[in-house]
Amino acid sequence: MDQPNDILLSVENLQVHFIGDGPVARAVDGVDFHIRRQETVCIVGESGCGKTVTALAILGLLKQPPASIAGGRITFDGRSLLDMPQDELRALRGKRIAMVFQEPMTSLNPVFTIGDQIGEAVLVHERVSAEETRRRTTQLLDDVGIVDPQHRMGDYPHQLSGGQRQRVMIAMALACEPDLIIADEPTTALDVTVQAQILSLLKNLKQKKNMAIQYITHDLGVVAAIADRVYVMYAGVVVEQGPTGIIFGNARHPYTIALLNALPTKKKRGLRLYNIPGNVPHPAYRPNGCPFHPRCQYREPPCENAFPALCSYGEGHNARCPILFAAHGRTQEARA
Amino acid sequence: MTAPATPLLRIAALKKYFPVRRGMLQRVGGYVRAVDGVDLEIQPRQTLGLVGESGCGKSTVARLILRLLDPDGGTVQFDGREITALNEREFKPLRKQIQMIFQDPYSSLNPRMTVAQSICDGVRMAGIKDKSDQRERIQQLLNMVGMPAASAGRYPHEFSGGQRQRVGIARALSVSPQLILCDEPISALDVSIQAQIINLLKDLQEELGLSYLFISHDLNVVSYICDHVCVMYRGRIVESAPAIALFDHPCHPYTLNLLAAVPETTEVGWSPQVGAEWDRAPLPDGCAFGDQCPDYTEDCKHEPAAMVKVGDHHYVRCWNAA
Repeated sequence: MDQPNDILLSVENLQVHFIGDGPVARAVDGVDFHIRRQETVCIVGESGCGKTVTALAILGLLKQPPASIAGGRITFDGRSLLDMPQDELRALRGKRIAMVFQEPMTSLNPVFTIGDQIGEAVLVHERVSAEETRRRTTQLLDDVGIVDPQHRMGDYPHQLSGGQRQRVMIAMALACEPDLIIADEPTTALDVTVQAQILSLLKNLKQKKNMAIQYITHDLGVVAAIADRVYVMYAGVVVEQGPTGIIFGNARHPYTIALLNALPTKKKRGLRLYNIPGNVPHPAYRPNGCPFHPRCQYREPPCENAFPALCSYGEGHNARCPILFAAHGRTQEARA
Repeated sequence: MTAPATPLLRIAALKKYFPVRRGMLQRVGGYVRAVDGVDLEIQPRQTLGLVGESGCGKSTVARLILRLLDPDGGTVQFDGREITALNEREFKPLRKQIQMIFQDPYSSLNPRMTVAQSICDGVRMAGIKDKSDQRERIQQLLNMVGMPAASAGRYPHEFSGGQRQRVGIARALSVSPQLILCDEPISALDVSIQAQIINLLKDLQEELGLSYLFISHDLNVVSYICDHVCVMYRGRIVESAPAIALFDHPCHPYTLNLLAAVPETTEVGWSPQVGAEWDRAPLPDGCAFGDQCPDYTEDCKHEPAAMVKVGDHHYVRCWNAA
């Protein structure tokens, strides 16, 4: 179905462990996903599910130790990232894969102007004149919707609002026209109206610059707004994946279903919200078998021991729940 | 909808201006009008939502109600009694009637106190002197918020965010309040935990007849839990309506903006309606929403609009709505 060179990034069976004094924390426990060129893929999950650690592993930004990549493969544009020498990885990072973080204030250096910082992102990877850097910086600020870029270049981060700072972060990420932007909760700290602006900016830039976006979030509304495809993560594992419309219309994993039922909306007024019992398990103390089974309303005895297989529903929609897959099969048979 | 009985809380023309000091001599250079003439009412057993962007003054309103800040003008009436003029001693018994739940359950509990110690202060304040009675009351409170009895002797760091928020709620309930001010009570929690806390707040309201002031920027939660909603923009209420009316027929251009910006799971591939960046320009003389409004006219420029009635209990601060 896919052209092999259509896939920009693929992660296969990635395992990241954190080794400390206590038991080993399996933060990422066998994650598979891929991103095609010019595609927006959302990784959605709650805190501690391993979504950020996966992103940091791709960029080679995990501090080892305490982290250790215990297994798996990461391939970007046909090249393995995990075996790549540091200097080659450094040349790739920022140029072909760029990252936007959640908190723009802590990611920007308070003592340099934003013009300097964007210019630096260009200069690290390309030998260009000061004149050219200045021209590129102005253009980048204009691209991300900063009004009057010539003058705003001289501003320091504290002179900007949260939304403007995030725009500057995006401008830095765009500096070398990367093929892939990894955005880790870029709008979580922003107001809804500003969030809408940033989402629409990312959508437009993706069109204009032919980039792929890996968007990490816990907000299902944001996922619906921007994703082409979705991966739902829970406890270090991808539990469900598929095209956005299918995930929201026809979810087949109990966790995804529970999350959607637990979301408060106007339509559910007067009804009780679905209560997902218990808590997200700590990465060092995850249950055996299906990681979601202690909180699952559909659990059956095999779930407690057997790690669930990935069940395919076609059209790229897979869910790691044999119980619902069997039930689905029965209803299909009954219909036929 | 509700009978015109006395509201539990009535705020009128409430004002709080923070001085902005400049220069070496720290002279007052101007004022930030954080709360600039806010009126609102909370009926018994009802939930009033207060929504708006960060910096619009919604948390300041809560602080003014609790007298954590002193207002610069206006009145706050609790159960028909004016409370802004009371001195600290006269106000103390009223603090038991009004409690608060904070956003961040990690920083609002003392890390060096066990759960029982944190709650016990309130139990003592409520007049329970006997030690074994206190213990019994603490157990009862923990049970009410769905925490195991054994958690009493444990410390906050041993709990998850959702459990800590439950402890925060138990502490607020320890003095048997009538009104709880909830300042973003679920926004720091994981999605799967948010529903637990929302259900708990609803159950407690039913059981104990509580009223809530629910401060949030999450409009989906507000549309689910609130009876009445006030939308705040730069220190003023711009729209006040029963929740269903507000979400079905929003009238103020700012409310429209805000609602259009909320991404919903039912709208796959939604394209956000983008307004201008909220700038920090000085507040205009006229309508605070200013030239961001598509229907901005000369009238709006000179005089702020008054609240106009557009429906049952539905008021809008906009010249064009009249």
